[in-house]
Amino acid sequence: MSLQVTLKILRSRPHQEQRYDTFDVTVPDAANVLDAIEQAWAHHDRDLMFRHACHHASCGTCAVRINGREKLPCIAPVKDYDGGEIKIEPLRNFPIVGDLVVDVAPFFQNQEASDFIITRPTENELDGKAIAHTQGLDPESAPTVPFNRFENCVECGICLSACPTMSADYKFFGPAGLAAIKRQLDKTTDANEREKLLHLADDEHGVWRCHSAWECTEACPQSVFPAESIMALRKEINAQRFKKFFRL
Amino acid sequence: MNLYRPELKRFRFLRWFDFRSWRLGMLAYILNRVTAIGLVVYLYLHLAVLFLLAQGPSGWDPFIQIARTPWFLMLDVILLAGLLIHGLNGLRVALTGFGYGVRSQKPLFIALMIFAAIVLAVGVFKMFMG
Ligand code: SF4
Repeated sequence: MSLQVTLKILRSRPHQEQRYDTFDVTVPDAANVLDAIEQAWAHHDRDLMFRHACHHASCGTCAVRINGREKLPCIAPVKDYDGGEIKIEPLRNFPIVGDLVVDVAPFFQNQEASDFIITRPTENELDGKAIAHTQGLDPESAPTVPFNRFENCVECGICLSACPTMSADYKFFGPAGLAAIKRQLDKTTDANEREKLLHLADDEHGVWRCHSAWECTEACPQSVFPAESIMALRKEINAQRFKKFFRL
Repeated sequence: MNLYRPELKRFRFLRWFDFRSWRLGMLAYILNRVTAIGLVVYLYLHLAVLFLLAQGPSGWDPFIQIARTPWFLMLDVILLAGLLIHGLNGLRVALTGFGYGVRSQKPLFIALMIFAAIVLAVGVFKMFMG
């Protein structure tokens, strides 16, 4: 069985007006939206810019908005869209490089700020700077309360696109970045390190900028629960302030 | 290489009211903004109305006549609804913002809004029948 589908894709190039192009493509019944985008590229327009790698939701590279909602098109079945037109746009709150490709540099800079970088063991530098490797969780120092493994995060940027606060304040550290800080905080008992991490989150563009729309948690395809991490960070910051104030 | 056009950037706050997702958290977020703007407008209207007091009975009494009409009472209903939604939802935001009830933010919102509806119904009854 195959499906006929019409893709309506937002096209952008620097210094050109944005426009929507439509592509009629035929895909197998079990196809995902990414397969349909590839069909459009292969059979209609080789200029179409989109990004992907793994095809199975573990790289987070292909994230776009499908019919207005942030999704990983590699795991979004075409048949869920009922044979109708599928509107595909790039993520919001990122500079657009072209068509469906956005510049994710600001996102990764924030991840890096909390020293949360996953690298291959052979990589000792990033952008020419020496880096320390993210250590695995030490079971000895792990807190007794359960927490989500932040490694679930595929760094897709969907939470930043879904966040309404991000739309109003581009300096906002963002859900994934704040969740990364929380993850690092859970990992360490070192007082200095904890102080540094809480200081990073305790900023007008940090945890306090979040206005509790919970869209990041709802949109996240990997159940990282970034909003919950933001609230947990606030709790820790308040506890720290309380202790300082009463000199406990 | 930012392709966002400046005029779009200026209006990006409109995304605060983007309820395409129809999720409860976002609905609560929008409601809080709309009611907050409404309450600020009300505050200024209230000050303007209080100014009538300075004019003595000749300014105040005709206003009281208008204030007792059903149409005006409808505005009171909207005001009460705004106060209840903003106040109770604000309580939820404050609680979760301090790390309490985080995992139950949705049931908390539903429960508080049911409570708001009950208080509003009682308020409406008192206003029109009392
Ligand atoms: S927290 Fe979730 S939505 Fe945000 S980047 Fe990570 S996987 Fe994507």
